[in-house]
Amino acid sequence: MTPHLADTPVLKTDRLILRAPRMADYSAFEAFYASDRAQYIGGPGPARDAWRGFAHVTGMWALKGFGTFVFADPATDEAIGMTGPYYPEDWPEPELGWHVWRPEHEGTGLTYEAAKAARAYAYDTLQWTTAVSYIDQGNNRSVRLAKRLGCVLDETATPLDHADPPVLIYRHPAPEALR
Amino acid sequence: MTVSFSVPVIETERLRLRLPEARDFEAYASFRASDRARSVGGPHDRADSFVSLSAIVGQWALRGYGRWLVADRETEAALGVVGLYHPEDWPEAEIGWTVFEHAEGRGIALEAAVAARSYAYDTLNWPRIVSLIDDANTRSVALARRMGAEPEEVFAHPTFGDLRIWRHAKPGGAGTAHPTSGGQI
Repeated sequence: MTPHLADTPVLKTDRLILRAPRMADYSAFEAFYASDRAQYIGGPGPARDAWRGFAHVTGMWALKGFGTFVFADPATDEAIGMTGPYYPEDWPEPELGWHVWRPEHEGTGLTYEAAKAARAYAYDTLQWTTAVSYIDQGNNRSVRLAKRLGCVLDETATPLDHADPPVLIYRHPAPEALR
Repeated sequence: MTVSFSVPVIETERLRLRLPEARDFEAYASFRASDRARSVGGPHDRADSFVSLSAIVGQWALRGYGRWLVADRETEAALGVVGLYHPEDWPEAEIGWTVFEHAEGRGIALEAAVAARSYAYDTLNWPRIVSLIDDANTRSVALARRMGAEPEEVFAHPTFGDLRIWRHAKPGGAGTAHPTSGGQI
C-alpha cells in the first residue's frame, strides 16, 4: 500500500477548502517559488529549493501532527496558496503564515478567509494560546492582511533571527478576544 | 482526530529501516553540524537540518516512497539515512545513503542500500534504480561497485556539478548479466 497522510483535517469556509498539501499542488507552488512574488519566503529560487520547501511543510504534518494547509477552490480542488500553523525547530514561537501563489488571487479576500479559518483551527483544535506572523519589512500586502486579522506589531517579542532590518512580528488577538 | 502516517518498515540482519521521527532530530542535526557533513554540502545549522529531516518525511507523503531512518535493531540508535531519494531536480529516483560518523566502517550503508535496492526492484517492481555519485566520492563509488552497480553517463547538475549515474544490479545478479546495456535507456 502506498503510504499517505491520513486523518489530516479538512476545513471549509464560504469559498474555500483547506487541507494538507499533496503532490498535485506542487507544480503551482514551484511556479510561485520561481517568481518574484516569492521574495518574502526565501525565493525566487530553483526547483530544487521549491521541492525541498514543499516537502518540508508536507513532512511537518507527519512529524508534528499539524502543519500548513493548502487552501483550494472547493469545486476544482485547485490550490490557491498556503496558510496555517508553522512551527519549525528554530522558530521562537508558533506562527501563522500565508502565501498566495498567483497574482490574480490577490485582492480577493481569499487569503484573509483562509488565514482566519486556519487561526481558528490553531486556537480551537491545537489549543494555541497565542500566535504571531513574521513579516519582512516591505511586504506591505502581508502587513495589511495581518492588520485586517486584528494583529498588532509586537516589538517586545523574541526576534526571529538576526536579519537587518529585523523581521516584523505581528501578534494575533488572543483566542478569548475572538470569541 | 490524530494525523497518522506510516511507511513500510524493513528489517535486515542488524538494522531497522523506518520513517524518521521527531526523536531522531538530535542525532541527525549533530551529524549535519559536523565537519563530516562536508560531503553533503555542510556543515548545516539546526534550522536547516529540521527542514531537511521534515523534507525526507514529506517526500514519502508526496511520492509514496522515500528514505528511511536506519536504526540499530537492538539499541534503536540512529545510524544514518538510506533509501529512495527523488527531489524535483534529479533525473530519476536514486538510492541515496548517508551514514553518521559513529556508524562508519561497519558495512551499515551496504546493508541498508541492499535492502533499499530490493524494495525498489521487488516491492515497487521498478525496472531500474540508480545512484548518482560524484566520481571524486571514492567511498560511495566503492560501495556502488561492491553492490554490482554499473556506471553510466554523467548527469550535469546545475549546483552540484557532474554526478555519475550508477545503475544497480537486480537482485540475483540480473543486472550484471547485461554489462553492456548501460546508456540504452
